[in-house]
Amino acid sequence: MSVLTADTRRDIEIHRYPFLVYALVPLAALVLQAWLPRLLGPYTWFDLPLVVTVYFSLGRRSPIQGTLLGGVLGIFQDALTHHAIGINGIAKTIVGYVAASVGVRIDVDNYTIRLALNFLLSLLGSAVYFFVYHILLGLTVDWSWLMEFLKALGNSAIALLLFPVLDRFRMQD
Amino acid sequence: MEPFFVRYRNLLVLLALLLAQMIGLAMQVRRTSVGLSSFDTRDDRGVRLIRLWANALVSPPERFIHSTKLGAVDLWQNYLDLRHARQENHDLQQTIDRLRLEQAALLQDALQGQRLQALNQFQEKYIYKTLAAQVIGASGSDHSRVFNVDKGSNDGLKPDMAVITADGIVGKVREVFPHSAQVLVIDDQTSGAGVILETTRIRGILRGNADGRTQIVDILADQRIQPGEKVLTAGGDQIFPRGLPVGVVEKVERDPERDSFINVIVKPAAHLDRLDEVLVITSTEPRFPSDQQQDMATSEALKGPEVEAEEQRKKASEIMAERLPGLIDPNLPPEQQPLNDSTPPNPVGHTAQPLHPDRFTPGAAEDQGAGQPTGQTGDQPAKATQNKAAPDASLPKKSAAPKTGAAKPPATGTPAKPTADPQSRRNP
Repeated sequence: MSVLTADTRRDIEIHRYPFLVYALVPLAALVLQAWLPRLLGPYTWFDLPLVVTVYFSLGRRSPIQGTLLGGVLGIFQDALTHHAIGINGIAKTIVGYVAASVGVRIDVDNYTIRLALNFLLSLLGSAVYFFVYHILLGLTVDWSWLMEFLKALGNSAIALLLFPVLDRFRMQD
Repeated sequence: MEPFFVRYRNLLVLLALLLAQMIGLAMQVRRTSVGLSSFDTRDDRGVRLIRLWANALVSPPERFIHSTKLGAVDLWQNYLDLRHARQENHDLQQTIDRLRLEQAALLQDALQGQRLQALNQFQEKYIYKTLAAQVIGASGSDHSRVFNVDKGSNDGLKPDMAVITADGIVGKVREVFPHSAQVLVIDDQTSGAGVILETTRIRGILRGNADGRTQIVDILADQRIQPGEKVLTAGGDQIFPRGLPVGVVEKVERDPERDSFINVIVKPAAHLDRLDEVLVITSTEPRFPSDQQQDMATSEALKGPEVEAEEQRKKASEIMAERLPGLIDPNLPPEQQPLNDSTPPNPVGHTAQPLHPDRFTPGAAEDQGAGQPTGQTGDQPAKATQNKAAPDASLPKKSAAPKTGAAKPPATGTPAKPTADPQSRRNP
């Protein structure tokens, strides 16, 4: 149980990164998310902006920053699609807020927890997306939960590889 | 006591951001009169600006990646090859690496050259004006199947232009930016293209489904639709010209929501997931080659005298028609017009009876030649004439009798004396 709770000084520390990391990593996530489908075709089972949102929200442990980061990334992601702007924005806003709120309470350096969190938050983002798109706006959409499940798995796998790489850029106190 | 805004600032920021985005969504999505929500594709200026910013942010890196041709797959393969070569021999590794890089570059160039050549040949044969464009990026969301091309409004692109390849249709231009444009692919759920099945001539609307496959919807169940049938554009959507290849029928599925309808799954002719170069139809006015244009000009030149001759023939026939006797007598009522006469034509019946027969009277020549007395000849030819004319002359009267119920003269005015009728002579 001790691994799950952030009850030590090390666990509740706030991760800080250079400004370039804050600027370039989300931008790279947006660009790669827009470019990689060209190579992978229909096997684009990941959402890099969501993974980045989860990572920074967990690390910063600030619900406001997580909310803003998720909102901005989601809105920009919406702007690259042909859908109404704000659907991904709302989904990632909630994901950023929840991730940061959870990050305050648990040990986010544990790989198992990171995997599980990414998986669950991906499904949460998909659910919010579907809710906003279909229920709130009343737009018709063919929805496949299998695809969302695969996407959540892909996000977890990417997080497993990406989080340690990003951890190297963490500023030490 | 902690102030309210400080204590709940996280939640308040969340709610404020959510509320702002919901208001933004409410301004974009409209509810139609039939109760369905729809997203107006023509954004207002504010939303359009956000798309412009996002495009300006993402397009340059995409363009850079595309221009350097540093594909992730190539990097991965080359990385593996390098590791393998280093284990074998370090000197050879460098040579192999250099040669492979060159070979890969040459191969890529050759492949791209072949693709461009095929595209150029297709473009030359195609009668519509097209513009070649390179695919530089996508939306990154499987709920929004769009991609970006490196041509924009500065190159003459406009919304709703059709995007095709030599294999088949790809989609339509949706958003146009100065140096790039967004293309909505036909396998998106919100896309729509009017299509027709080549053999059965059944029309439908092509769109994507949740699995990213293209399907024709709103088709009644029909046993004639079989896998393998070609699908073409119908041309009724004002975007795609008719007759362009769309794909082939892959399978037919029952519509789960409507029993009598089916969904026809179509395998697109164009490789939608491996697009590098596309053609944008910038003008649907036919663009014929020079030799065909010359043929058309010759045809137009030859058509002039033919039209003039045809008009002269028409004019001559009108003049002839005016000179010929008409079939309408202005002095008779409509029911007695000669045009309405149904009796068979009888030139003998129309022959006027001579009041004073002479030797020139038809039938009197033999009698005159025989040297008969004039007093007898005056009756006999008359009788002979009457006897010959009587059956014919009685025809109109008989036909008219049931209608009138009396010995009324026929409407045609055919002379029929009572004495000439054998019946009248028997029953005076």
